[in-house]
Amino acid sequence: MATTYATIDITSTDIADNSISVSNRATLTTAGTDTGITETTGLARVKTSSGSNTILLDHGLTSGVAADVTADKSAKVYIRNTNDRGDGTKYVTILIVTREIGRLYGGDWMLIPWSGGSGEDIEYTASDTTETTLEYCVFYE
Amino acid sequence: MATTTVTCDIVSSDLLGGSNASSELSIASDTKLYQHGTTGTGLEQLNYHRAVIPTGTNFDLIQDSAALSDKANYVYIALKNTDETDYVILSIYDKVIGRLYGGDGGGDWAFFPWSDNTTATGGVDDPSGADSSIEIQAYTHDCEIEYMLFHSGETLLTASDS
Repeated sequence: MATTYATIDITSTDIADNSISVSNRATLTTAGTDTGITETTGLARVKTSSGSNTILLDHGLTSGVAADVTADKSAKVYIRNTNDRGDGTKYVTILIVTREIGRLYGGDWMLIPWSGGSGEDIEYTASDTTETTLEYCVFYE
Repeated sequence: MATTTVTCDIVSSDLLGGSNASSELSIASDTKLYQHGTTGTGLEQLNYHRAVIPTGTNFDLIQDSAALSDKANYVYIALKNTDETDYVILSIYDKVIGRLYGGDGGGDWAFFPWSDNTTATGGVDDPSGADSSIEIQAYTHDCEIEYMLFHSGETLLTASDS
């Protein structure tokens, strides 16, 4: 059994009168157990210079990095836009199939659970044709 | 202008390569939460909640709003249940994102941007219609969560007696 920790720290000294510091550590386990997740795609990197909608993680395919992800379990997906922020107008939109989740501006990251049980692919669309690099990693069972 | 920093560390000494120390997994990232279209102006508005989600019903957790739509907003959700069989399903309207499970040392968490791209035509407090509200449903037992929304603005309800 492997042990994988995911830790988040959210800090601000000036968004409110008092400082905010939120810290949380999760142990990535298989669904409904305390057994550590043992499979990962490893950290991958993709470049895009297209403003078209593109599938990043195709759930249900018999090949590809997401082929072995079991649906409706406890998979987690990490994605980061490694570009510089620039003027703050360029971003990559991350979608769950056709529904927008949100925008990763340069330097932004996200960690979400991923079910994929009804063909919920994870997709992305760059805001323009500027070359953008995404790093991503799936932890799954 | 506020400065909010969010860091992520994903580490494992034995997920890759067993006892081979050179195969240790370590992913570290940090970002500052800025407003759209700025080089470095931080988000200045924040909602921070703790709530108990009863089982059996899919709820709107974070309601869509025209003022939030197509902006730079960020959501943090953590499940606090310690029973590993407890979980919540997060979705955006009819698209399931995934499941957060409880855990002995603290449950799963999620952090993601939220552009609230589709705003329902109904009123701001109307949960009907296709929208981009963040939805949540608890399974096995009631689920206690903490969640935060860092945002660019939200539509406030006009008081009924105004």
